[in-house]
Amino acid sequence: MKKILLLSFLFTFFFNGWIIAQQRNVVGRDIGELKNLKISGRITDQITGEALVGATVTVREINKTEITNSNGTFNLVLDRAEYILEFRYVGYETVIYPMIAVGEGRINLTMIQEDFTLDDVVIFGRDPEQNIRSTDMGAISISMNTLKELPPFLGEVDIIRSVATLPGVSQVGEASSGLNVRGGGADQNLIMFAGAPVYNPSHLFGLFTAFNPDVVNDFTLYKAIIPARFGGRGSSILDIGPKSGSLTRWGGDIMAGTVSGKASVNGPIVKDYLSAQVSFRGSYINWLLNSLNNPDLRTSQANFNDVNAILYGEINENHNLTYSFYRSYDDFALASDTTISWTNQSQSIRYSGRFGEKANLDIIGFQTLYDFTIFNQSGINNFDLKSGITDTGLRVNFTYDIGVKNRISIGGDTKQLTIQPGELIPDAGSESGVLPQKVQNEYGRESGVYFQHEFELGEKFGFTYGVRYDYYQYLGPRTVREYAENLPINSGNVIGERTYGDGEVIQTYDGFGPRVSMRYSLDSKTSIKAGYNKMYQFIHLISNTATIAPTDVWKLSDQFIRPQIVDQYSLGIYKNFKGNIFETSVEVYYKDIQNVVEYKDGARLLLQNNLETEIIPGVGQAYGVEVYAKKNLGRTTGWVSYTYSRALRRVITPFEEEIINDGEWFPANFDKPHDFTMIGNYKISTLTSFSATFSYSTGRPVTFPEAKFDFAGNSLAYFRNRNLQRIPDFHRLDVSLNFKLQGKGKFFDGDWTFAIMNVYGRKNPFSIFFADQAGSPPQAYRLAILGVPLPTLSYSLKF
Amino acid sequence: MVKRLLLFIIFIFPLSCIDPYNIGIEEGEQLLTVDGFITNDFGPHTIRLTRSDTYGSVFEGLIRPIRRATVSVRDSQGLVTFLTETEPGTYVTPNDFAAKLGLSYTLQIRLSEGQEYTSFPEKINPVAPIDSVSYRSLQLATDNRLEDRVGVQLVAHFKDPSDQSNFYYWRTNPGMFVVVANPELYTLPPTDPTNPRGPAPKDCCATCYLVENSRLQNFTVASDEEFNGLSTRVPITFIEDNGLRFKDTYRAEILQMGISQGAHRFLRLVNQQLNITGSVFDQPPANIRGNMVSLDNPDEVVLGYFIAASVANKSVYIKREDLEFTAIPRIIPDDCQIVPGATLTPPAGWNP
Repeated sequence: MKKILLLSFLFTFFFNGWIIAQQRNVVGRDIGELKNLKISGRITDQITGEALVGATVTVREINKTEITNSNGTFNLVLDRAEYILEFRYVGYETVIYPMIAVGEGRINLTMIQEDFTLDDVVIFGRDPEQNIRSTDMGAISISMNTLKELPPFLGEVDIIRSVATLPGVSQVGEASSGLNVRGGGADQNLIMFAGAPVYNPSHLFGLFTAFNPDVVNDFTLYKAIIPARFGGRGSSILDIGPKSGSLTRWGGDIMAGTVSGKASVNGPIVKDYLSAQVSFRGSYINWLLNSLNNPDLRTSQANFNDVNAILYGEINENHNLTYSFYRSYDDFALASDTTISWTNQSQSIRYSGRFGEKANLDIIGFQTLYDFTIFNQSGINNFDLKSGITDTGLRVNFTYDIGVKNRISIGGDTKQLTIQPGELIPDAGSESGVLPQKVQNEYGRESGVYFQHEFELGEKFGFTYGVRYDYYQYLGPRTVREYAENLPINSGNVIGERTYGDGEVIQTYDGFGPRVSMRYSLDSKTSIKAGYNKMYQFIHLISNTATIAPTDVWKLSDQFIRPQIVDQYSLGIYKNFKGNIFETSVEVYYKDIQNVVEYKDGARLLLQNNLETEIIPGVGQAYGVEVYAKKNLGRTTGWVSYTYSRALRRVITPFEEEIINDGEWFPANFDKPHDFTMIGNYKISTLTSFSATFSYSTGRPVTFPEAKFDFAGNSLAYFRNRNLQRIPDFHRLDVSLNFKLQGKGKFFDGDWTFAIMNVYGRKNPFSIFFADQAGSPPQAYRLAILGVPLPTLSYSLKF
Repeated sequence: MVKRLLLFIIFIFPLSCIDPYNIGIEEGEQLLTVDGFITNDFGPHTIRLTRSDTYGSVFEGLIRPIRRATVSVRDSQGLVTFLTETEPGTYVTPNDFAAKLGLSYTLQIRLSEGQEYTSFPEKINPVAPIDSVSYRSLQLATDNRLEDRVGVQLVAHFKDPSDQSNFYYWRTNPGMFVVVANPELYTLPPTDPTNPRGPAPKDCCATCYLVENSRLQNFTVASDEEFNGLSTRVPITFIEDNGLRFKDTYRAEILQMGISQGAHRFLRLVNQQLNITGSVFDQPPANIRGNMVSLDNPDEVVLGYFIAASVANKSVYIKREDLEFTAIPRIIPDDCQIVPGATLTPPAGWNP
């Protein structure tokens, strides 16, 4: 019986299909008229819904052509008969419309842009007016398809570097992995992969991002109004979503680039229920290092790799589970006697469920490990120096839709942090003349609960308000110093010690972080938004360098180092043009940062049991204007962004010797007032595209010597006030040409990408420094990381 | 699934580069700079007074000595010793002056214009003796692929006392070595009227001795945090083989000084600045504060540090046959005495 039903169903389906294909559109209400039937119509763009003005309608049979008016409408007078209409519009696909006119009637027709079918050249996601209608501010989502069109960095799509092209986001220099978002330090960004935090997402000291672009589906950067479900970092959240494997067929790709290659495979383990995606990326950069002239680099060896595995299981259409494993590994043997190695490993398991039409539940459990080791094999006093971080946590988020555009989210999270700041282990084999040393482990627990409500009041107003309550505990076991009151905190002013037991609470901090934003729409394409949020951060990057380095130490808030508190006010105007093809925005922000960590001159941070003696608390201030224009679709896509911003610091303490720059505001290491980026992609043909990225920014602050003096036979520079001069401005143009290869067999499908970084070979200084070197007078030197045009070619193959 | 793999082609050029960079630096202040140390050994000990100058100024190499100042050291028992100016800006202690263990010393300066300066007191703490000095022959890569740097690394061995915090400062005294020449290979100058470039072997002299001084001096500092109470080894310096130094025997002498915590901090910052490479990992430049203050104007910045230290020294003789790597020897086809500074008599203390 079933079979017959199925057969008949199939039969009907195909038969109908055949009929439809042959059928003409019947236009008009048949009241028996035969002549002068008035038929009107309107032509709109299928994507944008905009009326197409000046499109032509040709009736072949009577050789008549009409042109649409400013509303996109046209009028025809026809007799009762069969016709074939042709709709044409420049840049759009011609539509052939067979019809039978039977009475007075209307035709509504949509047309699609020609180049739209070339490829999926669409930057925006599902909802083109999301940027106007939502109350989100400073949230930018980008899909990997967009990124793949941009010029690659050393042959690879680089997520962190791409994020740095967005307005309000900058990097210290060409070889640094840290991001500075709206005047925040590199530690104020929470980078999450599949819901688990990642501490040092870089390969080769920041030359590459340690995320394989092939396993990334999309990412979202929140830099202004951060949803209440996120907390714990002051400036931004970068939420990177993994790609899960196909539930229906196996596939994969392979890519070979200049310095690394990668392969990935994905497909169903149990068809329609369980899929896997496994990727590996490995380096072969040693030949490149060996070709360099710098003797330290030439004698170095570097290896890096990363592995991802994602299992996705669909319990049924409403419930699914995702398990993600991520591990990145690096080692770098410097001049063959010191090896530096670091590993990030994170795992997460996520359950996502829908209960009825309105309720959603998300539960994520995660664990992150970060390990860093220096092996000293110089032959004298060999040792290993190890440090590490472990985070284990759970997040629950429940959302309920009260009505259309009216949603409540409630949830909470908790995580347990363990930091092992450093342990020096002398090499047992070589009679090491160094003492074993171990800095006390740190333990902390960070928890938060939140509530957020988003709703609309009519068409004009949208509101989001919420609050997050953060609760943090600094835990034992630990021995803590006590310092004399009203004296600077240094080793000379210790008056005692106190020992805390296992799990004993040493210090507690808590606070409410409101998140408020509202939107007022001037019309359907224009809106104004304003928002305020407050963030707490209980972990600090203790780094005296300008950027994130694997040697950096992370430190939990304790009784001396208070949590960083960031208050941010934002205001923006958003407008879309030409049916959302162009998106523009202007955002202004002001940020106030408390308890920024600054360093005493010549601070000693490594293996330091009492970091409070090396640092000084300061305050920060940041403000700026971000102007952004993006073209979302068409043959040419891309964006232009300009940011004017300042990031300032001030250190005032009661003790004169700790005051920096006489207590005045001074620029932070990453303060770059003008920042301009232009990114464009042009489809030359279906298979070929050209893209270019140009970026310009003010040089970052640097300290010039005020004088030169001689000591012990060396010329030394006398530095007084920090960061008052700047290195020369940065600008660079990168271009790339992408060919898609369509061979006869499908296994030959692939992409060739030819790219040139730094086309005009500008020696952008990463730093300006002062040195007295043998053979030349003491003088300033410039270090340029990419001093020449750098061509790369990569090939990727899909199967 | 993978049926076929097509692969890659790449071009690459050296990426990073460091080059001198011309920037406009404002004219520097002329600040009093103090450079020198006294020890518990007999002197003369030297204190140099100079004025700072613009960094990278065109008058490079011209130091501005401060002349006719009155310079004295005063110990914590009130004894004042005056230094005498031997060269412009160079003030030396009397030959019979040696600092005493356990006492504190301050440096007092009165300029000819009348301004007065003093150091904070520096206490002389004892220093562990050097048990021995060993050396390692090393070969290091350079910018030039075909030519490595070759030389000798000196390593000090000593036992750190466990009951106290110790801060160490190592310097080397001027090195001495045997200059090996080949007078028998001497040829007449090309301008010789009778026999241009003709062989004219000389009888003398094949071996001389040379004491060398160099402008740039390395130093090493350490605190015993890492090795308190241990017998330890610390690499002190690297002596490059320039083709002459290690043709026969080289004598190196290490000074191991016990200094104060403040002096250690100062020298550590100096060292940090000397080792700057401009890389991502450099620490930002630090304001190197010394221990000198003006008595007239508390806001006046005085550069440099007056160090008072206890000292231990040890020398080592390095023989060519013990070296694994040596540079290609430079041949001197003449009397060794033509090398500037070379003498026939061994320097004082030469005792291989």
